[in-house]
Amino acid sequence: MSGVQQPAAVVAEGVDMDFGTGAAMAVKDAGFALGRGRFLTILGPSGSGKTTLLRMIAGFQTPTRGQILIGGKPADAVAPHRRSVGMVFQKLALFPHMTVAQNVAFPLKMRRFNPAEIAGRVERYLELVRLGGFGARRIHELSGGQQQRVAIARALVFEPELLLLDEPLAALDRKLREEMQLEFRRIQKELGVTTINVTHDQREALVVSDEIIVMDQGQIQQHAAPAEMYRRPANPFVAHFIGVSSFLKGRRSAAGIEVNGIDCAGQAVADLAPGVACLGAIRAEQIRIAPAGAPLPGCDTVVQGQVTDIVFEGERLLCFVTLPALAAEVQIYHHDPAGLDQLAKGASVSVGWTAGDLLIFAADKG
Amino acid sequence: MSRSQKITIWGLVWFSIITLSLPTLVVLGASLTAGNMVAFPPQGLSLQWYEKIALARDLQQAFLRSLIVAAICTAVAIPVGTLAGLALSRFRLRFTTAIQVYLLLPFTIPLIGSGIGLMLVFGQWHVLGSLWPVGIACAVINLPFIIWSVSSSAVLLDPDLELAAQSCGAGRVQTFFHVTLPAVMPGVITGSLLMFILAMNEFLVSLLLVDARIVTLPVLIYNSIRSIITPDLAAVSVVFIVIALAVIWLLDRLVGLEIFLKSK
Repeated sequence: MSGVQQPAAVVAEGVDMDFGTGAAMAVKDAGFALGRGRFLTILGPSGSGKTTLLRMIAGFQTPTRGQILIGGKPADAVAPHRRSVGMVFQKLALFPHMTVAQNVAFPLKMRRFNPAEIAGRVERYLELVRLGGFGARRIHELSGGQQQRVAIARALVFEPELLLLDEPLAALDRKLREEMQLEFRRIQKELGVTTINVTHDQREALVVSDEIIVMDQGQIQQHAAPAEMYRRPANPFVAHFIGVSSFLKGRRSAAGIEVNGIDCAGQAVADLAPGVACLGAIRAEQIRIAPAGAPLPGCDTVVQGQVTDIVFEGERLLCFVTLPALAAEVQIYHHDPAGLDQLAKGASVSVGWTAGDLLIFAADKG
Repeated sequence: MSRSQKITIWGLVWFSIITLSLPTLVVLGASLTAGNMVAFPPQGLSLQWYEKIALARDLQQAFLRSLIVAAICTAVAIPVGTLAGLALSRFRLRFTTAIQVYLLLPFTIPLIGSGIGLMLVFGQWHVLGSLWPVGIACAVINLPFIIWSVSSSAVLLDPDLELAAQSCGAGRVQTFFHVTLPAVMPGVITGSLLMFILAMNEFLVSLLLVDARIVTLPVLIYNSIRSIITPDLAAVSVVFIVIALAVIWLLDRLVGLEIFLKSK
């Protein structure tokens, strides 16, 4: 991935986790390599195995098969408290009976730093997370965002090789969450610490990461940079999870995909034989919409439809449009509030897209 | 809430308060009497009986012995009860349910039964006649109280807290002392105070395990009642009540009484 000679910060090789409950394996054959200083997000729905994978990296669980290397060395035999891994927990897990400074000092105390160094570091890391002067406070006296910052400081203060984030932002309201996402990114870039973040929030993944892994049902679906994943999802599941909202069922044709007898322009993500059942996927912002009969210049495919519902989202409109010719419904973002009148519910419209925006997948998954 | 519901509920509350506190009030009244008989209402007011018990050597010594028994009981119960309470609530042990039922047994076996059992065991070991077996016996029969109290604190403990300690570099022992124990401390304090007061008040098992040289205060009171009931016994009872109230006050200051509302 990084192409550098030194060993990758974290490597997983064929990692399985079977809790032996008779249910499906929590993690199946997970493999990836993460270069030093990179920010990886493991993205997936609940139950996808992302947290289990993270906990194996932290050392709280041992893989039933395969191995995890941290800094080039096998980690399985290393107890969690001897790994150089800092972790921010979902519910933060700050020690309620300690002050902010005691929480941040705890990893240093456990590692037997000398007291003078502890005091200096605690102060420095509280500054880093912008909590200078809060050291004497009790945890419950802090706001949710401030508690987040304490948890980050505690995870970083001993300068671990690796920082793990187990959905720490999930419980925050949207505004604070977005603020903290940027904060995570800033701190991570400032310290250059290799970071693995787990989340089910695709926006967060796109905003904070250098690399994203999408997981589903215990398996890694795709490992790519955010822009790459956004533009070229590997399969319908990834496409759906990363925010593609409209799908067309059909068969592979020369131009793209034949849906309900109509040939639609599209681009296959892999070689698909003509006639094979496939699925076209397109994002709401890549479909264009205009009043019926109005030209849609540049579109390779144009079909007629009817608006079934409109949701006003402020900077844009979300239109639900049925396309009788394709026997399908699509979602479209329209960024022209001035055109509000013409897009009333029930209006007849033309919709279109360019061939490059309709991605065509084999129809076996998702 | 409707008017009639309000009346019913307040009626029940006052009924409970009165029936629960009546014996205490009667004893308190009787202890303040100026006469020579236990009577309620008291015949005149005086503190003469408190003066008398404060000077009675046998009462003082019995009181001291009860304190020693309670201290031994608490000292034994804290480590045993804390570890057992944590283990039962935190780990999915193989026989958790069986162990829980077993720990309930001291309640289902009549005290006279466990008392005789303990008497036989201690008699075989030839340790009857000292105070420490009484303390241990009190710890054994009351152990479920501290186990429950610790368990109810432990189930509120976020398991991630211990994992967080580990990821901070704390080994198992350090995690226990720095994180787990402070987190269940309210339960430990509650349980210890309960154990102390229960051992202080324990009568039946003490009766079977003590001899004339080492009578504890409840046993001494009982022995005195058998001869003649004088108001000094009422005064001793009030001392007991005051100790219990002091413990409850201490509990409220240390951990708050809400823990009783939360515990399961």
